[in-house]
Amino acid sequence: MIQRFYLPLILLFLLVFQGMAMSLLPGSLAYSDYLITPHWVLVILILITIFFDHDDTYYSLLYALTFGILIDMVYTSILGVYMFSYGIVIYLLHGLKKMLHGNFIVAVLLAALGIVLTELMLFTIYSFVQVTDIPWESFLSIRLVPTIIANMIFFLLVYPLLKGRLEKWAANILSS
Amino acid sequence: MPSLFRKKRLILVLVSFILLVALIGFSLRERSELTWPEKFVHDSVGWIQTIFNQPVQFIQGTYANIQDISSTYEQNEILKSRLSQYKSIMQENQLLKKENEELRSSLDYQESLTEYDPIDASVIARSSERWFSQMIVNRGEAHGVERNMAVITGEGMIGKVQSTDKFHSTVQLLSGFGLSNRISAWVWQDDDPIHGLIQGYDEESKSLLLKEIDSDAEINEGEQVVSSGKGGVFPAGLLIGEVTKVEMDQYGLTQTAFIKPAADLYDINQVMIVDRSMPTHNIEETDEEEEE
Repeated sequence: MIQRFYLPLILLFLLVFQGMAMSLLPGSLAYSDYLITPHWVLVILILITIFFDHDDTYYSLLYALTFGILIDMVYTSILGVYMFSYGIVIYLLHGLKKMLHGNFIVAVLLAALGIVLTELMLFTIYSFVQVTDIPWESFLSIRLVPTIIANMIFFLLVYPLLKGRLEKWAANILSS
Repeated sequence: MPSLFRKKRLILVLVSFILLVALIGFSLRERSELTWPEKFVHDSVGWIQTIFNQPVQFIQGTYANIQDISSTYEQNEILKSRLSQYKSIMQENQLLKKENEELRSSLDYQESLTEYDPIDASVIARSSERWFSQMIVNRGEAHGVERNMAVITGEGMIGKVQSTDKFHSTVQLLSGFGLSNRISAWVWQDDDPIHGLIQGYDEESKSLLLKEIDSDAEINEGEQVVSSGKGGVFPAGLLIGEVTKVEMDQYGLTQTAFIKPAADLYDINQVMIVDRSMPTHNIEETDEEEEE
């Protein structure tokens, strides 16, 4: 029973830590010229999509919408952007996953795809509302590429920790 | 029935898109206060962050202490030599203060623009979205923080309060200042301060833009810029930064100065939120509204 709360708790924990990391890490590391943005919540959401959700359950989408709006509220002053991006991306990955096997290579590719799509959507929307006005080329080099690399490292760190557990929890919760 | 599914999906995407536009529109509107769900979420997340912050800061503090101990002797020597100078400056300072007060009372000019009441706060988190230069501090409405108050560190000004919750508030850093957040400022010169308005931040040179300076004013590199206290709620005399470059604008009517912020905008742990003691009349806000 208590296993039901593990996923929301993990996500909440990472949401909180995403912001704390930015203030606790030394400035030279967290604030280089590259605009590295942590998407830890998204990485976990992608893992949930691949290894927890069945084809007909949508826990990952529910969490994506909930934690998307929470990130919007806590870390940005514009509501809905993260909620929309995370929601669409997770929905898309959920659809893609049905056609693919859940192995390591597929997981890596889906995670990379998810992060790229999210970043592109965030950039598009934020450009529209003039939160940022950097041109497309500099976005590519100072934000997109470093962010993908940083988040894929995080993905590779949590993958071995969470894969087995997610499958076990799925078996316990979704089949009961 | 694939067509039905596709239609359903299309409607879903459309509805979510409309929801997105509505939410963005709602949050972009000039809001003087956050809605209660936002406040509730801010405060709850803030509490969790405060709890996790305690042990981390303890470890950081201990580490810093150990580093300090190793350089104590040298520092002590330097401090001793400074101390004697300090004493005489303090006496002079007291004398001047007294004189100032006397002059003020004789002029019947009680309140000063430079006076302020600081509220100490510590930073508990920063926005993980790098395009928002925001951070969350652990003081809110309950401690007397209000919207638009100036936020400073020991080195100088770092930003202003963007929104408040009951026990936490969100600070907008100088690097996130746009056209709508203007600060009236002075370039400090011996004889006569030069007035200008800080409007916006230049990402490329990492400096603030001080605009609307008279075209015949002479500004040199390295001169200091302080807040003027005119309009808005900022007290006067807060150090903002240093001039690094001056440019004529395209019509040659005014000049624009590039200002490097005096405070480090990245490594911030402790801040002070300053409330001007003098009752405020929001000139800045009203004339912003007029322009819009």
